[in-house]
Amino acid sequence: MEIYLSNEFAREGPLLLAEARAKGRYRTAQRVFESLKPEQVVDEVKNAGLRGRGGAWFPTGIKWSFMPKELKGPSYLVVNADEGEPGTFKDRRIMEKDPHLLLEGILISCFAIRAETAFLYIRGEYRTAHDVLADAIAELEAAGLLGGDLFGTNRRVNVVLHRGAGAYICGEETALLNSLEGRRGEPRPKPPFPAVWGAFGRPTSVNNVETLANVPAILERGSVWYKAMGTPLAPGNLLFGVSGAVERPGCYELPLGTTARELIDKHAGGVRGGGRMRAFVPGGASTGFLPPDKIDVPMDPESLKKAGTMLGTGGIVVIPEEVSIVDAERIFSRFFRHETCGQCSPCREGAAWSDQIVARFQRGEGRREDLALLEEIMRGSKGMTICVFPDAFAGPLATALTQFRGEFERRMAPAAPAATSEPTTHA
Amino acid sequence: MPEAEHPEDFVAGLRALTTRYPKKRGAMLPILHALQERRGHLTPADLRLAGELTDVAPADVYSVVTFYTMFRMRPAGRFPIGVCRNIACWVNGSERITATLREELGIAPGERTADGRFSLAEVECLGSCGTAPCLEIDGRYFENLTPDKVRALIAELMSREPEPARAAR
Repeated sequence: MEIYLSNEFAREGPLLLAEARAKGRYRTAQRVFESLKPEQVVDEVKNAGLRGRGGAWFPTGIKWSFMPKELKGPSYLVVNADEGEPGTFKDRRIMEKDPHLLLEGILISCFAIRAETAFLYIRGEYRTAHDVLADAIAELEAAGLLGGDLFGTNRRVNVVLHRGAGAYICGEETALLNSLEGRRGEPRPKPPFPAVWGAFGRPTSVNNVETLANVPAILERGSVWYKAMGTPLAPGNLLFGVSGAVERPGCYELPLGTTARELIDKHAGGVRGGGRMRAFVPGGASTGFLPPDKIDVPMDPESLKKAGTMLGTGGIVVIPEEVSIVDAERIFSRFFRHETCGQCSPCREGAAWSDQIVARFQRGEGRREDLALLEEIMRGSKGMTICVFPDAFAGPLATALTQFRGEFERRMAPAAPAATSEPTTHA
Repeated sequence: MPEAEHPEDFVAGLRALTTRYPKKRGAMLPILHALQERRGHLTPADLRLAGELTDVAPADVYSVVTFYTMFRMRPAGRFPIGVCRNIACWVNGSERITATLREELGIAPGERTADGRFSLAEVECLGSCGTAPCLEIDGRYFENLTPDKVRALIAELMSREPEPARAAR
């Protein structure tokens, strides 16, 4: 099994430019700039079957092919480094340890979509990663690997680092664009899609950090090599996160389609203290809870869809047996209530009401009709808003209610009162 | 900091940020970050200045500032502590971390110590799930925490002068 994303993760500080070049970094970018056409890069990435690692799994080459081929003004690459899905910490690792892996991916991707500027939008809390990237960009500028006349080819690329300021919704690509433009991070109605009307009204491709970090290897080794890893529909390796109640939490690079069992038991050393798990979150908060009997699910988009959820970011969180799913779901419902941008009523109200109702169960005051009410809130908000945020808050809620319904029933007030009467309280 | 206005070269630096974007307004978040670094929070005068530099009305700037959790218009502590309360940290004992901080500092989340040295907040996922539980102070992460490590950290910060504000980049 080959590793091409996490080679430098064990190091103390970041891999600096001199050492990175000694390891062959930027040779692929140089070859691309010197000898390929943009369409050839797009085709190679399309043939490789690379799909977006931010959680939506949209084919990257197809996204790039929507970008205009004849330019009447600037196009942009926007790098989504607004990693914020609870359970996810892979992009941070790339940026802190191997900034030049990402930056080489950015150079090649800018070439592919004919962009001269990349805006790298990094979440505000990632100060260390930001500073590492700022230093790496300065190194490149000093070495003539950013700016004009790259590799003597008359092409230019520059990278603008841009810090977010604390808002989960800015990971949604059009919210991110508004935030980059200095506005509230509210998602935009689509169409128009970013490839037509993106950053500052110009054609834009928004791509996740890990996605772009896959690009140099694809161009270096070729799509045939790449497709041999992972699954036929989702090739390549993924930086899986395993956290929560496990012996060795961490970031593990493995082929897509690796089972959750292998990740949790073999790589992360199993449940903490030899205990048992109540559930696991397969790929970040919005993918919800799976019961332990689903542990043999292959971790790829199609297999998890069949299991009733999504791969998301591949950030597994193990929930130990002693924790109640009602309490774990409250962590998520409170999070989504805090993070809804508030512009669409079904989402703003739905996130707030579902959190209040889950809180009622947490206090042991759930009402019989609350279960149906939660389902109605999900029905009334999913697909009714500008972005898919209601799907995100419904992910954990729906899986909690279907897979762990008994836990909610046990947290109901004993003589469940009718909706119109006061809730019973307990000391 | 008692000064009412910002030094000219600092404002010139803010103005220079607007040239990095195709439209001046793109520099809004960088300008607000840089202004907040001066005092630890934003003032109404800061919002007016950000608006002038980006051609945006002050009320519009205010709507931006209030959207993002990292911007604050009330003074925070010299060491603003943010404890992650999301799933991986919670499963690994973040509630004990917060309880230890409440005990050590004598304040609740949302409050500031009387001497202005510390403020405490509970925050959402910091991307530190593999090294949970975690807290951050001005973008510096403290990971794999235990109550003992938290007590040692507070003792160390009590005895230390804060680092000088970093330059905006």
